[in-house]
Amino acid sequence: MMDSLSDALKDALKKLAGKAVVDRAAVDELVKNLQRALLSADVNVKLVMELSKAIRTRSLDEDVPKNTNVREHVLRIVYQELVRLVYATADVKLEPQVILMAGLQGSGKTTTTAKIARYFQKKGMKVGVICADTFRPGAYDQLATLCTKINVPCFGDPKATDALKIVKEGLVAIKDREVIIVDTQGRHALEPDLIQEIIDLNAITKATHRWLVIDAALGQQASEQARRFHEAIGIDGVIITKMDGTAKGGGALSAVAETKSGIVFIGAGETIENLERFDANGFISRLLGMGDLQALYEKVQEAQVSSEVDMEAMMKGHFTLRDMYKQLEALNKMGPLKQIMNMLPMGNMQLPEGVYDVTSTKMVRYRILMDSMTPQELDDPGIISSSRMQRIARGAGGTPEEVRELLKYYKMMHKTLKGLRGAGGGKFNMQRLMKRFSGMQ
Amino acid sequence: MFSGLRERLQAARDRLGASIGAAAEASRPVAPAEPASPGKTGDAPQAAGPAKNPTLADKVKILIIDRELVVSEKDVSEALEELEMTLLESDVALPVADALIADIRAGLVGKHRKIGESVDALVVRALKSALLKVLGSGFDLPAYIKSHERPVKILFTGVNGTGKTTTVAKIGAYLKAQGFSVVIGAGDTYRAGAIEQIGVHAERLGIKVIEHKAGADPSAVLFDTVQYAQAHKTDVVLADTAGRFHTKANLMSQLDKIRRVMKPDLIVYVDEAVAGNDAVVRAAEFDRTVGADAIVLTKADMDSRGGAAISIAHTIGKPLLFLGTGQAYEDIIPFEPGAIVDELLGGAA
Repeated sequence: MMDSLSDALKDALKKLAGKAVVDRAAVDELVKNLQRALLSADVNVKLVMELSKAIRTRSLDEDVPKNTNVREHVLRIVYQELVRLVYATADVKLEPQVILMAGLQGSGKTTTTAKIARYFQKKGMKVGVICADTFRPGAYDQLATLCTKINVPCFGDPKATDALKIVKEGLVAIKDREVIIVDTQGRHALEPDLIQEIIDLNAITKATHRWLVIDAALGQQASEQARRFHEAIGIDGVIITKMDGTAKGGGALSAVAETKSGIVFIGAGETIENLERFDANGFISRLLGMGDLQALYEKVQEAQVSSEVDMEAMMKGHFTLRDMYKQLEALNKMGPLKQIMNMLPMGNMQLPEGVYDVTSTKMVRYRILMDSMTPQELDDPGIISSSRMQRIARGAGGTPEEVRELLKYYKMMHKTLKGLRGAGGGKFNMQRLMKRFSGMQ
Repeated sequence: MFSGLRERLQAARDRLGASIGAAAEASRPVAPAEPASPGKTGDAPQAAGPAKNPTLADKVKILIIDRELVVSEKDVSEALEELEMTLLESDVALPVADALIADIRAGLVGKHRKIGESVDALVVRALKSALLKVLGSGFDLPAYIKSHERPVKILFTGVNGTGKTTTVAKIGAYLKAQGFSVVIGAGDTYRAGAIEQIGVHAERLGIKVIEHKAGADPSAVLFDTVQYAQAHKTDVVLADTAGRFHTKANLMSQLDKIRRVMKPDLIVYVDEAVAGNDAVVRAAEFDRTVGADAIVLTKADMDSRGGAAISIAHTIGKPLLFLGTGQAYEDIIPFEPGAIVDELLGGAA
């Protein structure tokens, strides 16, 4: 589904290429496809309509700048309008603060609370956590277990029923902590008692930040819920969770627009380390199911195309283990491999299914194994003999079989990329790839 | 519940009715001016336009002989576009909304309407049949249990945070109230606090829980649960599992192992009513990898739109079993498509 949407989007962009003046019909078609892509990414319907109206008006009214063609002109406007939505800053300062977590049931507040505690802890802050979820059975056990793992004190009482009392006591008990995170019970906007409770919690904690946790899969409800939470306690940051699934997180975009705040963190994984600061470009790429829009945008700005993965070298056949390492590293940030491969500007190339079958745990293992390699081995995997394999395996605490498997995977990737190069007719460089992707010829 | 969707659907119904009505109006005034045909026989040309299906001659013939009007594509296209937006705003996923609209269009365009018959009835019929087609026939769990060999084993699956554990507790309470004996398997051995959570629920409800330590193999826990049920002649086994994303191949194969080991009679896929377009993607993936026999939709109380019900049901074509509508144990209602559709369309027709 998403594939066909992004194809339609690319087609629409293609139609704008080579036009001397901005063609109303072509812009309309682009806007229509953009609307469909955004709607299926769960962005709020009204927001989509406003956005597309702004893009249409600007594309038609603004003069095309010198040295850019119509397509680039429109693309820049699309990019700017999208970025405007998510670029509101939500700073995370390393100073004493109280953070109140808010959100719907099952959005991942408790897991995120522990992840944030870990984040501040790693930055060298003294962190404490209060469990104010007195409703859901096992909530305290869950938070306490997670906190024990990272040695963060967790205040709470599984038998208590009064969240306000617990929080009051907790604030006293862990007042020596620099960062205090208050995890709360899941609630939604139509439960007046619970909304009152969080207003009271906000008052007694005098929270520095009130962060709203949003499930990436949340649909059109996101706007309404965010608005009500914002009215109640003044949300100043949004956290998107469960970005390791296939959901696009468009609901979070609506929430940000509604609360006029920014996206603070993204949660993508079940372990306590899986929390990242928000990256607008990756997010938008995912939203539209399109390649790196920023790279294209920057080209328009005549800036250097920067890419984490050295595409040019890869295309020339110099795909080393180093490149693969970078790929794996980038992977966590962007979502499942299949999606990323779709994002990479490779046109409609089909990768063998085996490439996708590498699970996230394996990815981590592969990286550890590569950490155990010498620079020479990374640059030229051909030299890895069986004695080298032994050494690598020992260094990484694994087995030579694992190293063999990694090399097999590498070879598969290598072969695939070489095949791609063949299809392009030899001289396949980044520029041409980009062109092919966006249809500039 | 679903009141948002109801209001929207009713507005859409009015619009559709109005545009069909307007088209009919347009064709009528001509009638008196037509000297050759005495009485009220109308002349269609004015309204016919570029409708594709029935030819002009057909239309006139039908109008004169059968005294009926034909609904043309043009009459309804604008209103249907608005209806599509309505569906999207109600969280019906894009591909599903497209399919529904096509269905409703097919149900309306080319339909003959008696001049006396109300436009409203026609529109309601099309909407109703489209919705019913999607929502299926519902699922009577007590009847299913009665007609199958005990213990009936029910496995709950779904992504993280949709409310599987709470749903297991609620269904346990529901079945107990219906007079069945129930045992719960604490198959979520991964999430911290999950075993405690289901344990507290079960204690409150007076239901036996079979549990292992955190981190244990869920297949083993659930196997033991089934063994317990067989030994104690328990009617129903409710198997909770850890939430997992359909993109994690290892976790999905773990679920597959659970299925092989405990051989469930029913696999119930749990998702939340507030989920957007992703509901379709993951429901399809779960259905493909481990299968799904029925659906439970949770958190329907925070959602006044209910689009996810339509999306998921349309995607995997399985009946909805229950709706979760709140935090208390009794906040669960068996899903009856007929009643829901009637409610959505304001009980008309």
